[in-house]
Amino acid sequence: MFDMKVNDKYFDEIFDFAGQWEMPSKCGLKIVKRGDKTVVLATELYQDNPGSSITYAGGSLIKQICEAKKLDLRNIIYVECNPDTNSKLSFYDEEMFRVDFEVENEMPTNLKYTQLTKEEIESIL
Amino acid sequence: MKFKLIYPKWKKLPGQTTFNLPPHGPVVFAACLPERVDVSFTDENVEDIDFEEDCDFVGISMMLSTQVKRGWAIADEFRRRGKQVMFGGISTMLHAEETLQHADSIFLGEAEGRMEQVIADWEKGQLKKVYNYMGKQPDIALVGPARRDLYKRELYNHKGVQMVDLFHASRGCKFSCYPCAVSYLGGRCFRPRPIEKAIEELETIDNNRLFIVDNSLAQSTQWELDLFKEMIPLKKKWISHTIEDKPEVLDLAAQAGAWYVYQAVYDTSDYIRERVKRYHDYGIGVEGTILLGLDNQTEDDILRLIDFLLSIDLDLAEFTVLAPFPHTKAYDDLMRQGRIFDHDWDHYNAGQVVYQPKNMSPERLQELYEYAWKSFYHDETQEEKMFKLFTKVMLREMEDGTYRPRDRKLANKSFGKDVDRSASKVNLR
Repeated sequence: MFDMKVNDKYFDEIFDFAGQWEMPSKCGLKIVKRGDKTVVLATELYQDNPGSSITYAGGSLIKQICEAKKLDLRNIIYVECNPDTNSKLSFYDEEMFRVDFEVENEMPTNLKYTQLTKEEIESIL
Repeated sequence: MKFKLIYPKWKKLPGQTTFNLPPHGPVVFAACLPERVDVSFTDENVEDIDFEEDCDFVGISMMLSTQVKRGWAIADEFRRRGKQVMFGGISTMLHAEETLQHADSIFLGEAEGRMEQVIADWEKGQLKKVYNYMGKQPDIALVGPARRDLYKRELYNHKGVQMVDLFHASRGCKFSCYPCAVSYLGGRCFRPRPIEKAIEELETIDNNRLFIVDNSLAQSTQWELDLFKEMIPLKKKWISHTIEDKPEVLDLAAQAGAWYVYQAVYDTSDYIRERVKRYHDYGIGVEGTILLGLDNQTEDDILRLIDFLLSIDLDLAEFTVLAPFPHTKAYDDLMRQGRIFDHDWDHYNAGQVVYQPKNMSPERLQELYEYAWKSFYHDETQEEKMFKLFTKVMLREMEDGTYRPRDRKLANKSFGKDVDRSASKVNLR
């Protein structure tokens, strides 16, 4: 058994979103401007997220963040962070994924995940 | 109003001994129905459904992913006959969108304090398509005694021996374990029932042997100690998931009747070896639960793990392969990596590989899973090992005067069917 407290190094605020079946859900959020693009980094909070995971929420979460923060869906780089939780189990090591998607009726669809290396994460952030 | 409550059957894993336990979810749900509702219950695992039975409204309660397709087929048949059908239960929540296609209504969340409104809506012809209480857990003190009077007891009996009754003392879970969806379903906060409510329910159960089905009792030491202390006078004998590894907890658990526990065995460490020994030191048996196919396991790791199990004196072992159920981290990880290749829910039985393992082929993992079962039960069958555990509990019951001899009228019956004395193993459905 382990305490799955998430370190806040990858987020500046807690973002509340509606998960599956409108479940009140939370994630960490960091937004960084990089040239003409905006990098949106969503972090899974595990035990501090009462609802859907950021992965399960997927396109709906991206849309909710963009609406709340007035970002253009077509002009963001979206990154999902599954943070390290100090668990002995390797499944809870830090993993980051760039999520590419198409936009249909203003909804992100056909999400594709590409795992990022440490160097790629550093260059994005 | 006549309410027909159904628990769909599922295909049992081949080669394993099947014990049909009285299902818990449907009778917990039934306790939430208003008194004016006349409930009739059918567990399709032990009896056939009579689609002609007189009823006004049908409820289908589903726990496992391997029940959902059968549940949908049952609903389709009742709806074809003009009945309205509502779904509820754990796997309704996990597979809600698909289930909605076969339902007049789905109920998501916990039912306590909410069924009066649902039934009133039905009576007015205003049943809602979705009753969504996800994330809105009711007061845990509202959980009352389950409607165990709905069971046909003779159907949960094997050769005169009554099966254990299921009981829960808490809901929710503060842990987010890799293959588990409980924190999504029941909330990420541990919600223990008030001790007096739990004890009140235990006193009503006409069975000395129980399975306490809580996800993990090891979430609040003081509550665990208080619960066990109050359970001692009841002299029940019980199975549960993990108990906290503290001498005072193990001691009280043993006094409260801990019979055997499920303990995850995930590596070959001395910690696991000593953990099993400590349970045994307190007279508590151990059934190891071994999950195969995780990304950190190679073929050699699995083979070493199987050898290790044979050396640590486990009373029983249960092997499963990882099943990526929706709303688990396992699902999220494998989905992101595009490794789930089988989306047939009938195959999500934890005995069939539905994803690409990291360090071997799906076929090899399947072979290792089957090898694990065969190896562990090679010298002594599952029934023989189970008989040893039964002997231990019978001796304890004889000591404290709670032993009930087997029911001789049912000695030739197994879960309602005639026993085939020529067969060496129970093989039902």
